[in-house]
Amino acid sequence: MRPFKELDPVIHSQLRLAVISLLTVVEVAEFTWLREQTEATAGNLSVQISKLKEAGYIDVVKKFSNNYPQTLCRITPLGRKKFAEYVEALKDYLNP
Amino acid sequence: METNEKVLTGDESLQIISEMINRTKVNIRQGSFHLLFWGWLIFFCSLGEYLLVRLTDLRDPWLIWLLVIPGVFVSLIYGYIKGKSSPFHTYADMLYMWTWMGFMIAAIVLFIIISDRIESVAPFILTLAGIPTFISGFIIRFRPLIAGGLSFWALALVSYFAGPAAAPLAVPAAMLTGYLLPGYLLKRKVDHEAV
Repeated sequence: MRPFKELDPVIHSQLRLAVISLLTVVEVAEFTWLREQTEATAGNLSVQISKLKEAGYIDVVKKFSNNYPQTLCRITPLGRKKFAEYVEALKDYLNP
Repeated sequence: METNEKVLTGDESLQIISEMINRTKVNIRQGSFHLLFWGWLIFFCSLGEYLLVRLTDLRDPWLIWLLVIPGVFVSLIYGYIKGKSSPFHTYADMLYMWTWMGFMIAAIVLFIIISDRIESVAPFILTLAGIPTFISGFIIRFRPLIAGGLSFWALALVSYFAGPAAAPLAVPAAMLTGYLLPGYLLKRKVDHEAV
């Protein structure tokens, strides 16, 4: 039996997986929109986004729009690659 | 979503991925505006020119088409404002937008090249217009728009082979089948989903 690939611990977390799943489809997303879609608290989402950013899986840009602060998130090529690897590893678990 | 790090099973991971991806539907709210705006504008210009030719002695009835120029600015400004206010942009949104931008540029170039060489540019513009309409229907998964694209091509053939009496009516007919009908159906779909 071939060994299972380890699931990336950065992605293998409920909220971080949700965030990175959303960001694989959208080109860029606002923090508030991510919070609505994931139904997470602002604090928890902020922590998880920071972890994804530290790992280099997403980019975070803070700017102002109509004098209001705006946080935009975008998946990086590394993040996209790691998500694809995660999905492949997941398939192994589900279809051994 | 819980604050504590919950250990996920494989099935739970897959469910999260599916659920999140399903939430990122293509932002089609703008789509109905452009279909309806251009549908009515081109319908008005094409039918207007036809009626001016048939019923009046005006020397340059084609001047009614100058309304397209402010129409381009209205469309671009609307798209820009709505795009800026959207909290996310999918790749399909970008593809949708650039497909139509490409058509607009190509239509202008085509018109410049052939308008003074042939009697009617309608068959060529309709053929060209069928492409983004058809493709957009696939991008946003909306069959009436796919059918609309096909109708453009059918009416391009009608416009080319029909006699002078029928040909000028091909463009307003194409607006009804290719832009207005799909546009109203799309608007109804979006309004229904919003409820």
